Amino acid sequence: MTRLDFEATSLELQQYRQSGERASERVAYLASRIIKDGYSAKLQDDIWPFYEQAVAAALDVGDFRLADECIENLKRRFSNSSRVQRLVGMRYEAEGKLAEAQKIYDAILEEDESNIVGVRVLVSKRQIALLKLRGLKSEAIAALVSYLDTYYSDAEAWIELCSLYLSVHAYQKAAYCLEELILLQAANPIWHLKYAEIMYTLGDYSLALKQYCRVIDLHEDHLRGMYGIQLCASKIMANGEADDTTKALKELATERILATEVDQCTIDSIKQVVREYLSVA
Amino acid sequence: MSTTIGRLLSLVGITFLIHSAYSTYQHLSYLNAVDKAESGLPIEIIAECLISVVVSLVGVVLCAGDLKNILMENEMRKQTIDKLDTAPSFITFNHRGRRAVSAHTLLQRRSHMS
Repeated sequence: MTRLDFEATSLELQQYRQSGERASERVAYLASRIIKDGYSAKLQDDIWPFYEQAVAAALDVGDFRLADECIENLKRRFSNSSRVQRLVGMRYEAEGKLAEAQKIYDAILEEDESNIVGVRVLVSKRQIALLKLRGLKSEAIAALVSYLDTYYSDAEAWIELCSLYLSVHAYQKAAYCLEELILLQAANPIWHLKYAEIMYTLGDYSLALKQYCRVIDLHEDHLRGMYGIQLCASKIMANGEADDTTKALKELATERILATEVDQCTIDSIKQVVREYLSVA
Repeated sequence: MSTTIGRLLSLVGITFLIHSAYSTYQHLSYLNAVDKAESGLPIEIIAECLISVVVSLVGVVLCAGDLKNILMENEMRKQTIDKLDTAPSFITFNHRGRRAVSAHTLLQRRSHMS
């Protein structure tokens, strides 16, 4: 095995911690390498969030040995901590012992001296995740809605609610969640993209077109955004409501897709097929 | 490399700045001692002060990290959907990942050893 580049690895792990990306296989691999190769002392104070991250990743890939080791280290340092208890609850969840996990979460929330609001919030989220795990989607949605009544600026919860609504095909409500997300993070093109795609699914082509334009406004030459513009403009033209702006937008989108993506494709037959498709659609 | 030069320069600059401050204090107390009127500082101290400020400026600027783009969209471009559209506190573990990954790692280990 190659020598571990500690600086690059700890930086990568830190980036995963910040963005919240679910790259569990990679994180579990790096975490086990760091611990096995003895670099854990080098992390110093960063080691506690590292252990937390490692537990979540290890549970995701089913590496219970790694998860137990990290939980033991955390317990030794922070005995009686609700945050560590939450990780123990997650471990029970991963094993499938949902009742024990539920008991732990209830116990954490009952403790009156919970001065740590953060942990209560995280544990309420775990309870919602438990409901999702059990397949009780409507209860999970109801719990999440009441959670969001209090903590309405929690982007993560809105994201989760949106995916729950999408999984039960409640598109209008999912669109509402995305509107909230757009309010919270206006510069993020992904919310506009998702909103546009939901609007397209619902058949509101003019609003979808506006949102797709916003996507390429925020992220120039975004392929999905441009394709969305092309499709929406075509639909509007098929309905007969098009005006010059729509036609111009469609031409622009087609031209940009061809210029940025298709022309870089080396297989001529594929290029030909895409060109034909775009000119007809 | 530039950070070490930067640290060195800023250290040198700050040392000379402190030195010029101390020289000013000494000069003023000397003027006080010989009862001369405050006739302004000698040119050397002023020069030392100004040059040390410039040197420490250069040093601090070299120490600072890379400049980041001011436009939000250039930062956003590097983010993939996976990084933005996640809800890490709500993850559930009832997926096939456990079996899939352990099979994959087993295969990897076998191929490493063989």
